[in-house]
Amino acid sequence: MRPYLAGFNRGLRGAVVVPGDLTVRMTFLVIVVLVMAALWSAAVEANGGSIEGYTRDSLLWYVMAAQVAVIAVRPRTVEEVGEEIGSGTVAVQMLLPVSVAGLRMSIEAGEAAARLAAALVVGGAATWFLAGAPPSGAGMAMAVPACALGAAANIASQHAFGGIAFWLLDAKSTWFVYQKLVFIPGGMLIPLELLPGGLEAVARVLPFATMAYVPGRLASGHAEPALLAWQAAWLVALVGVALAVYAAGQRRLEVLGG
Amino acid sequence: MQAIRVSELRKTFPAGGRVRRRDAVEAVAGISFSVAAGERLAYIGPNGAGKSTSIKMLTGILHPTSGEATVLGIVPWRRRRELAARIGTLFGQRSQLWYQLTPRQTFGLLARIYGVSRADEASRVASLGELLDATELFDQPVRSLSLGQRMRCELVASMLHEPEVLFLDEPTIGLDLVAKTRFRDLIVRINEQRGTTILLTSHDVSDIEQVARRVIVINHGRLIYDDRVSRMRRTLLGTKVVDVRFADPPAMVDVEGAMLEKLTGSGAKLVVDTTQRPIRAVLDDLLERYDVVDISVADPPLEEIVSHIYTRPL
Repeated sequence: MRPYLAGFNRGLRGAVVVPGDLTVRMTFLVIVVLVMAALWSAAVEANGGSIEGYTRDSLLWYVMAAQVAVIAVRPRTVEEVGEEIGSGTVAVQMLLPVSVAGLRMSIEAGEAAARLAAALVVGGAATWFLAGAPPSGAGMAMAVPACALGAAANIASQHAFGGIAFWLLDAKSTWFVYQKLVFIPGGMLIPLELLPGGLEAVARVLPFATMAYVPGRLASGHAEPALLAWQAAWLVALVGVALAVYAAGQRRLEVLGG
Repeated sequence: MQAIRVSELRKTFPAGGRVRRRDAVEAVAGISFSVAAGERLAYIGPNGAGKSTSIKMLTGILHPTSGEATVLGIVPWRRRRELAARIGTLFGQRSQLWYQLTPRQTFGLLARIYGVSRADEASRVASLGELLDATELFDQPVRSLSLGQRMRCELVASMLHEPEVLFLDEPTIGLDLVAKTRFRDLIVRINEQRGTTILLTSHDVSDIEQVARRVIVINHGRLIYDDRVSRMRRTLLGTKVVDVRFADPPAMVDVEGAMLEKLTGSGAKLVVDTTQRPIRAVLDDLLERYDVVDISVADPPLEEIVSHIYTRPL
């Protein structure tokens, strides 16, 4: 495990020593919270004070946690992984005596940890200012590890999707699809309960809801520990899939020339 | 003891493409050779000759179509990670340093990856820094280093786990003349002081002359030459190309031992057969008899050497 812990540590330091990226993300998070506050205030008011059991304030805490879990992760990992494979850079990574996917994921997890800590502080403060204290202390306490599990699941899932480039030699189109999956069935835009019935049912069996919906649901006052177990199970599965995709892809790697 | 053994190694990239049909490419067509531990070997050939494909098979990245190979007794494509812990690689066109970090921070991560203890890491970084005269570079961000400085740090990164075999793929590409000379000296010193086996690929004939003792030339995936560099120098590297610029365009350039290949206004290109007359005597003559503004001496291009190999009498 030592190489991967070192990778995590490297990612953590890398994110901290590039404060520009962190600043832009935090600014974006505050803007999103402000915009969503205006939108949900109007929507909830028009709907008689709540939507599917969510009040204006609980929706703002949902938005904050869902955004924090997603914003902590590199948004274009699918594309980056695809480029590394398509350009042959992955061949250089294979010269290290470790799992390429394992090291890559551990570095990104380190980066995400730094951003997650900053985003929870900044996003939490902005939301507290706009909506008051979290609706449930227990829910909020569970939302913090849920953000971390969601970010980790997102990282693993992006590696599994990006690894498709071992066969297609490109992952740009995959990234486009992936982004939309996190956005809608992942619950980043709105809670799953607000989706049409059929779409909600589909979203609940996909892994994307573990990346945004679960942290949001817990932060919005629903202290449901089963959601954390659901996340953890998907995380294990997604890491396994990512490692398997890389292992199979590396076996069929055909990099011609230098 | 043999560090590398290769027997009838072959790699064919399969045909493919449904819309635009691609023919199969035979990148390596059954090569055999061995490299003794501690040897310095240049593995050269023109673009597309199969050098990089061979190295990728010897480092375990690619699986061969057929044939056998062992590096340090390990079949590379079967036990890639185990082999990776015992070899070092340096690719001139691909960096192993992280741009956001200082080289020292990258060395720390690599040391953990290779299982090097912190005490060994500190002593090795210090001794390599001294050997490569690079210690002052280790705490600067990688992005602020020049190419020559970065390559010295890349070499430290490659040597940190004390590899028994070092694969160098175009390590001097993009370096200026001074940096190239220095880098070549470093490789030789590492080989002499640590006994590290060196396998070098390069398009620069000077890299081969100054670093390697033995040279293997491949072309179209086949081994076409395998001999000592000293013998290659005598038989194939006996010419130098001299580019001269004159203050006043001469009507003709006539110097003993030099064949005029091109004369364009104030510039001329001469080919000197150094087995007939030393390059220094030719340059002395040129400088004495003509008003020379600029002059440069270069080795013949690799492609020319390869064509000499094909045309030489057996």
